[in-house]
Amino acid sequence: MYGMIHRAVRQMVFDELGEDAWLALEHKLGIGPTELLTGMVYDDALTIAIISEASARLNISVDACLFEFGRYWIKYAEHGSLASIMNFTGQDLASFIKNLDRLHLAVGAAMPGARLPSFTTISKEPGRLMVEYRSDRTGLEQFVLGLFDGLITRFGATGDVKIAEHKANSIVFELQYQDES
Amino acid sequence: MLLTFTEQQLASLLPAYLRLDSSLYIKAIGPSVVEHMPDIRVGMRCTDVFDFIHTDIEQFFDNTDGVKPIRLVSHCGRTHLFGAAVFDKTGCILAVRHVLSEESMNNGTLHMNDFGYADPVVLSTMLISLQRAMLEESQATAIELAHERERSASLLERTDRVAGYMGHDFNNLLSIIRLNADRLLRKFGHDEKISNLAQIIRETAARGSNITQSLMKLSHQQTDTLLPIVIDDLIRENDTFLNSVVGSGISFDIDLQAATCESVISYNGLLNCIINLLINAREAMPHGGRISLSTSVAHGLATSKSDSGDTEPSAYIAICVADSGSGMSEALLSRAFEPLFSSKPKGTGLGLASVRDFAKEMGGDVWLESQVGEGTTVYLHLPLANPSAEAQTAHKFGQSADAPAIGTRHILLVEDEPYALETLAEMLEAEGYAVTPCASGEQAMQALEQQAYHVLLTDIVMPGQTGTEIARKANLDQPSIKTILMSGYVPDSASLEPGWMFIRKPMDSDELLRLVASAV
Repeated sequence: MYGMIHRAVRQMVFDELGEDAWLALEHKLGIGPTELLTGMVYDDALTIAIISEASARLNISVDACLFEFGRYWIKYAEHGSLASIMNFTGQDLASFIKNLDRLHLAVGAAMPGARLPSFTTISKEPGRLMVEYRSDRTGLEQFVLGLFDGLITRFGATGDVKIAEHKANSIVFELQYQDES
Repeated sequence: MLLTFTEQQLASLLPAYLRLDSSLYIKAIGPSVVEHMPDIRVGMRCTDVFDFIHTDIEQFFDNTDGVKPIRLVSHCGRTHLFGAAVFDKTGCILAVRHVLSEESMNNGTLHMNDFGYADPVVLSTMLISLQRAMLEESQATAIELAHERERSASLLERTDRVAGYMGHDFNNLLSIIRLNADRLLRKFGHDEKISNLAQIIRETAARGSNITQSLMKLSHQQTDTLLPIVIDDLIRENDTFLNSVVGSGISFDIDLQAATCESVISYNGLLNCIINLLINAREAMPHGGRISLSTSVAHGLATSKSDSGDTEPSAYIAICVADSGSGMSEALLSRAFEPLFSSKPKGTGLGLASVRDFAKEMGGDVWLESQVGEGTTVYLHLPLANPSAEAQTAHKFGQSADAPAIGTRHILLVEDEPYALETLAEMLEAEGYAVTPCASGEQAMQALEQQAYHVLLTDIVMPGQTGTEIARKANLDQPSIKTILMSGYVPDSASLEPGWMFIRKPMDSDELLRLVASAV
């Protein structure tokens, strides 16, 4: 995955456990600032190793860590240098998810080599979205669940996300939410 | 080819479109225009809500064959649209889109839904925005890397210092052990059993010394002894080796005229300098030639003509290395001593720079003279070891300036370790020196007021006044005094001055006695 993801994991560990915890993680994995270069695309194995180490330090399972990181990534992106892009992508949950592929098109052009997923809204009803997720990666379902959960919060709603269906080449997520406004 | 779009399809492709009749009345509005201009209604005249920029409204429908570029700004000024007007029998379609800028992205006035799915402006503007975001993050990364480097440098510096002080303390202990083992050997060496035990202690101390040497190297410490060296002897002793450095295709002449004149220097340091100069000379002559190495003693400015600002004429030993190579241009000459600069494809640029550092540290200088096609000569000047004003000191204390008689060679010994002080004093007294032992800098200062000394032998790292501070004061009060510093650790703050001798702890008794004898 690209370095911006690594930087976000680092910030999450910073926020939760402090700088020393991150330095210990870096030491354990033998990584440093050169593994945190924003536009660099790194081997997924490294990203998974970082998440796995973070989960051990946060005392949660890797799945739980991926979910929490998905939620955290939304906050990280909306408050960091990606804020304007996040705002531009959509002003409500449905339009944001509808435009995710267009966002990823730009990310893919800016970071050649990044393997980006695709999201298609297959059903849209008031308070309910069915989104099909495609990726050549596996094992990131919890991360995607966390992302959707984080998006529900971002748009001032409350709700739930679950996996509705595992298809041959995709996963369908069901988002049920209620606008608080 | 005729394509027909429903209003919904048109809205997907051009969310900001407008359909007008031939009188400019609005017949349909794209969803993005409605979103940004909630008061706009079908049936309004377009000119009532928009200004047409650079377009003559009266002639708008005059030529309806092709497409007409168009730019609209809402009366309130918040909505900017541009694109083209496409005409048909009933009027026209304004195929326009919002003017997207980074600013309108940043302030959140426009969103992706305001643009058609295939609109390339979205991708290009997002790319610019993403690259800006990546630049910001890269800048943050660069700052992190700089901090990381600072942190590493600071850690290294702390490690250096800790290693240095650990080395110092161990060296002090080893020095006491070694000097006392020597003392045992001197006093009871005739007893075989004691002699064996003393040797064991001595050898173990020497092994301990090797460990502290490693610590010293980690701490980039000066480990070479600085002592008066007969430069001609040094060259003679290494004659065969220097010949092998020059190689067989080049004629090599050595002309030594400095006789027994000495300079206080590091033996290995000077040898390295000469080797560096010979290698440079050899490499300037890939097809053979001639190198001469000569020494002489002269009086005058020891520094180059261009650097004669603060120096006063004095006696010095001049070492010259001349080659008959291709010489250097002015431009090359001006950069020759620059660290990491080299005119050679595989050169490191460290050779001449290290020669200059050595020359400066020893109180001398080095410079080049060269002309293209006429070879290069390097002048390395080092101060003579015994230029001090002996008479001046002797006069101050009403003494003769002649060489001291046995038993009147006065040594001021300063050492804060009581056992080392006692052992050194006893050893020097046994050699016939008159020793004034001082356990602190303050005591040494008082002693300097009371009589003239031939030699100051002092530790460097001590509580209160350091050895270098004492030495500076002693050299000022008694210009003829010979200074020998001894230490297991030389902190950066304690810079040694040219002419001062230096011996590293733990000391070998014989080496120390030789150094003292040469100073006296």
